[in-house]
Amino acid sequence: MEPLSTEERRKAFASAKKPDIVRKQRLPVRYHVEDFDVTDRPRRFLQAFAAILKHTNYRVALDHYVRVSAKCARCSVKCQVYLATGDERDVPCHRSELLLSVYRRHFTVSGVLRARVLGDAGLTDDKIQEMAESFYNCTACRRCYFECPMGVDHGLITHLGRYILSEIGIVPRALAVSVREQLLGATGNTSAVPVPALIDTLEFLSEEIKDGIGVDVSFPVDRQGAEYLFLPAVSDFLMEAETLMGNATVFHATGDSWTIGTGYFDGINYGLFYSDQILEHVVKKIQVEAQRLGVRKILIGECGHASRSAKYFYPAFCGGKDALPVINIMEYTHQAWKEGRLKLKAGAIAERVTYHDPCNIARPGWIVEQPRELLKAICGDYVEMTPNRRDNICCGGGGGTVSIDEIQPYRTLVGGKAKADQIRATGAKYCVAPCANCKKQLRELVAEHGIDCQIVGLHDLLYKAIVFG
Amino acid sequence: MPVFECEGRMYEVDEDGFLQEPERWSQDVAKDFAQTEAIADLTDGHWKVINYIRNYYLQFGIAPMVRKLCKETGYKLNEIYQLFPSGPAKGACKLAGLPKPTGCV
Repeated sequence: MEPLSTEERRKAFASAKKPDIVRKQRLPVRYHVEDFDVTDRPRRFLQAFAAILKHTNYRVALDHYVRVSAKCARCSVKCQVYLATGDERDVPCHRSELLLSVYRRHFTVSGVLRARVLGDAGLTDDKIQEMAESFYNCTACRRCYFECPMGVDHGLITHLGRYILSEIGIVPRALAVSVREQLLGATGNTSAVPVPALIDTLEFLSEEIKDGIGVDVSFPVDRQGAEYLFLPAVSDFLMEAETLMGNATVFHATGDSWTIGTGYFDGINYGLFYSDQILEHVVKKIQVEAQRLGVRKILIGECGHASRSAKYFYPAFCGGKDALPVINIMEYTHQAWKEGRLKLKAGAIAERVTYHDPCNIARPGWIVEQPRELLKAICGDYVEMTPNRRDNICCGGGGGTVSIDEIQPYRTLVGGKAKADQIRATGAKYCVAPCANCKKQLRELVAEHGIDCQIVGLHDLLYKAIVFG
Repeated sequence: MPVFECEGRMYEVDEDGFLQEPERWSQDVAKDFAQTEAIADLTDGHWKVINYIRNYYLQFGIAPMVRKLCKETGYKLNEIYQLFPSGPAKGACKLAGLPKPTGCV
């Protein structure tokens, strides 16, 4: 891959639209942060760090990482951000070292003693600023994890770094505003969709399906005792009509009972990107709604981070082994198809199709082959990107950065450059990206790079291939 | 709070230039905001989209689903992008006086 030219780099790193705000907050970052206390930041950072260490088990991981981290920079060959910028500050283990050095200096006995002897003053304001910038340049895609010979999970360290920063008020405004609406707002979801608008949208989608394929497909709302509680990324109700139509049509074909709950219908959980506390509060909203409706399973729509946050953290925060099972809609559809309860027409999609693996579901090896098998069943011309599956390249908008409009040039020109090259090389007409995050980012990416490829969800295509009767 | 000034008229806006006082909206306000979106002249096509979004917002408290907007106005998505270069969620909603959409939109 070619490194960026000076002009491209200048464009990508152009500072935020409101430099006066940035100056006031003394933060050299490209994303907006709400007003917060700028005094005495190192002390407050360390206090937050200490509190997090006390109440979580991050210490186990950090103790291990500070010992084994060799800073060999092998991870750099896997990092699309580093490969695009060529800037050593974007090497994953360089970024992790920002936080690990604070841990070593302030929270290990040897570090404290060494500082006494050598007269090291410790954490400075400049270093906090460096972290505030650096941790949001990473997309937390965790591809570097596979390359690290010592097994250091840089994605985890990025997550922890952001968590501590958020505790002292440094969190991108785009994420904070959405989460505030979700936890405290009247609508209780990140895109502020009120229930009457949801109902109107669902009625509209039913009509669209009737007009399109002549089948009466309903979107059940608040059905007590349904098998599945369906939680897509709430933005799907604004942006992804065809994905939702495909989801509902699959259920119509299988005949299983499912429902959308008016009490809570948002799968999005930005806590995964910056705060474990938020993560817990949001996951518990799912539990409340599941109990209200008496459902037996949690079903997450086409969204990578929503799926991962529910799959791994619903059991963690909502009952452990007794928690309701969490599955993704692609797993469900794949299972139904395997069991013969869903019939698909072979060759329904004639155009060339490729598949983008969302990091949050592909990296752990969770949902990799299921969508591929479905696509191969309905597509006449299916091609793979290279690399793919667990080794896929991130869309460039991972880790919540896709919601931050201020850094769009950075996302499309730096973070997403490798992905754009990948999509172009396939020559595909459709790129299936079963994730609300990835879809938004990839659409901006193909527009910016002038690639003639339509970004769709998996169920958008399945919708055209379902056979009834 | 940043202020957007247009020929002596002052509007309170957020960091992305979205109107903060939705009740102040009028067609003149939309005209003032059009220049921030690099739209030289508001045509009938623009008004059709803006009015539909505005009325939907007054009824339901949010912008309509993109597909519904396309269907009701008769424009394809790429035609809406031609009218509003930054798209339905950002450009069109801004001119219709809606708050900035949040979440993965």
